[in-house]
Amino acid sequence: MIQLKQIRQQVLNAKKLTIIGGKTQVQTISATESDILDMSKYQGVIEYHPEELVITVKAGTKIKQLAEILAQKSQSFSFPLSANDNSTIGGAYAAGNSDLRDAVLGIKIIDGKANILNFGGQVMKNVAGYDVARLLVGSQGKLAVICEISFKLIPQSYAKDLKLAPCNKKQQNSKLRMRIEQGLKSVFDPKHKFI
Amino acid sequence: MNPMQIVQELSNKLPKQLVLTGDQLTRPFECDGLNIFRQKPLAVVLPENIEQIKQVIAICKNHKTPIVTRGAGTGLSGGAVPLENSIVLGLSKLTKIKSVNIEQQYAVVEPGVRNISISEAVAKFGLYYAPDPSSQIACTIGGNVAENSGGVHCLKYGLTVHNVISIKMLTIDGEELTLHRDDQGLGLLALMNGSEGLLGIITEVTVKLLPKPELAQVIMAGFNNVKDCADAVANIITAGIIPAGLEMMDSFAIEAAEDFAKAGYPRQAKALLLCELDGSQQAVKIELEKVQQILNKASSIQVSQNEQQRLIFWKGRKSAFPAVGRLSPDYYCMDGTIPKRYLAEVLEKINQLSNKYELRVANVFHAGDGNLHPLILYNASIEGEIEKAEEFGTDILKICVDVGGTITGEHGVGLEKLDAMCYQFPAEELDILHQIKAVFDAESLLNPGKAVPTLHRCAELGAMHVHKGELPHPELERF
Repeated sequence: MIQLKQIRQQVLNAKKLTIIGGKTQVQTISATESDILDMSKYQGVIEYHPEELVITVKAGTKIKQLAEILAQKSQSFSFPLSANDNSTIGGAYAAGNSDLRDAVLGIKIIDGKANILNFGGQVMKNVAGYDVARLLVGSQGKLAVICEISFKLIPQSYAKDLKLAPCNKKQQNSKLRMRIEQGLKSVFDPKHKFI
Repeated sequence: MNPMQIVQELSNKLPKQLVLTGDQLTRPFECDGLNIFRQKPLAVVLPENIEQIKQVIAICKNHKTPIVTRGAGTGLSGGAVPLENSIVLGLSKLTKIKSVNIEQQYAVVEPGVRNISISEAVAKFGLYYAPDPSSQIACTIGGNVAENSGGVHCLKYGLTVHNVISIKMLTIDGEELTLHRDDQGLGLLALMNGSEGLLGIITEVTVKLLPKPELAQVIMAGFNNVKDCADAVANIITAGIIPAGLEMMDSFAIEAAEDFAKAGYPRQAKALLLCELDGSQQAVKIELEKVQQILNKASSIQVSQNEQQRLIFWKGRKSAFPAVGRLSPDYYCMDGTIPKRYLAEVLEKINQLSNKYELRVANVFHAGDGNLHPLILYNASIEGEIEKAEEFGTDILKICVDVGGTITGEHGVGLEKLDAMCYQFPAEELDILHQIKAVFDAESLLNPGKAVPTLHRCAELGAMHVHKGELPHPELERF
């Protein structure tokens, strides 16, 4: 297990850094060109308030474990969960889909300059500042280290009504969109540390 | 920049009647729903199609003239207030509902379409658009996206960001960009929701439509103290019920609303809870029974027996603002959000502040999602009272931040809450927000000076950051 300050130190020290979670998407990682930041060692529930329908978790926490904790209070996530036992919640955030994005309320991240930053929060309605917490869903670990995430939950009784469409992501690679995404990458990671 | 030259150029390129200049014609655009900020622009342009919007953008960019995009001007944070040297780009003439897909339940609309018009247009198919800000009869869908508007029903059905499938927008360079919920990559559509006109100009919105619930019923419960009412809110959610609406009012708001709307509210109650349940007949029946059991500490309970009664119960709540407006020459509406478990505590602190500032306050809450709307009563004609009301308001927002909440739940930052932003965000985070704007709008021509305070401004406020080291609730993880 590791602490937030250790993660920060690793970001500070590394020239290039590859962030990994439960390693369910990649088979082998070449560590020749970059350091590896293994977020699966940053685990646990930080706060869980069933009466608020809100949970705040460390990114390396296994989704399976979270689902069990929520089930004890008859609650659940409102997005489809990976069937792989090793999948982490941070990995799901980094891979991103619109249903997960809908449920995100706030994040604590470490950017490329090793600043610890918070966006969004633990409340359902929050329009202070741009919605960075939802923007970074799908960022593939290439803009910032996602350390902690707050999610809106639903009672299990409502989960059966969810119409979760199979995730057919639309490929968008217009020049304009790529320019914007590259611009945003440089905002969070000016030295292109995260690869 | 020569102001006359820009106005001249706009008038030359666009049909004359679409360009408004001069004191008289631009006056209606000098403020939005928050009228303490007023400023006349160089000109107001009211385009009728996308090509005209592109022309306005090109002219303004060429002259480095700021553009303040405006919907219906119903916003409550000064987000649509013109700048002295700006053009107002009013999109209220773009009111076409372009298409409705009944089977897949979505509608494609122009940005100037009013929120309620969408629901009205699709009612015959048994569908509606869920987010319902109080201004829904007037506010536009483009403005809703810009503010990520909420409303009474967002507890169950989500905010604007959850109900928009895609948008088309123009960048400051006049380039068209389509953003969809399911785009691969970063959440750019989510970023545009609530970006307050600082990143782009929305030209088309595709919204999700929902089937109208078979039945909706409201439970109205009075309580002898605020804490019991706040506890009831938590207990309903913990019991696994998400009401379609869960609203709370304090005694002052109850009395004001009852005088105004005569909805049959219990005047002697210290707090009132309105809980709407919707769905199939069967589901509503089951939840209704559960909620009534949970409300065992209520001093009075009434359940709407028909649609007419349901609407009457809501009428009091929905007219709370004008009702309070009758009791005072002016009022100032706040919009903080807090974790619900602090409801009773925060309300008590607001009452203490009310005594300290000697200004009355009426509280109406979207209790289900912790969004507070304290209405501070004041009289602008008494010298110094506006400032006193603003100071009171700022204190309330600080309390919201201190318990782990936020300075704005649904009204936006605009011009109004720039100082409060300094309290919620450290410099490093504000800097990121500024840089995000620069990616879209390097010369800062789109609604500049709104939504995110300059670091300089926050530094001048100075003392505000000191609190971060000595929070009233150090045990709370701060997000």
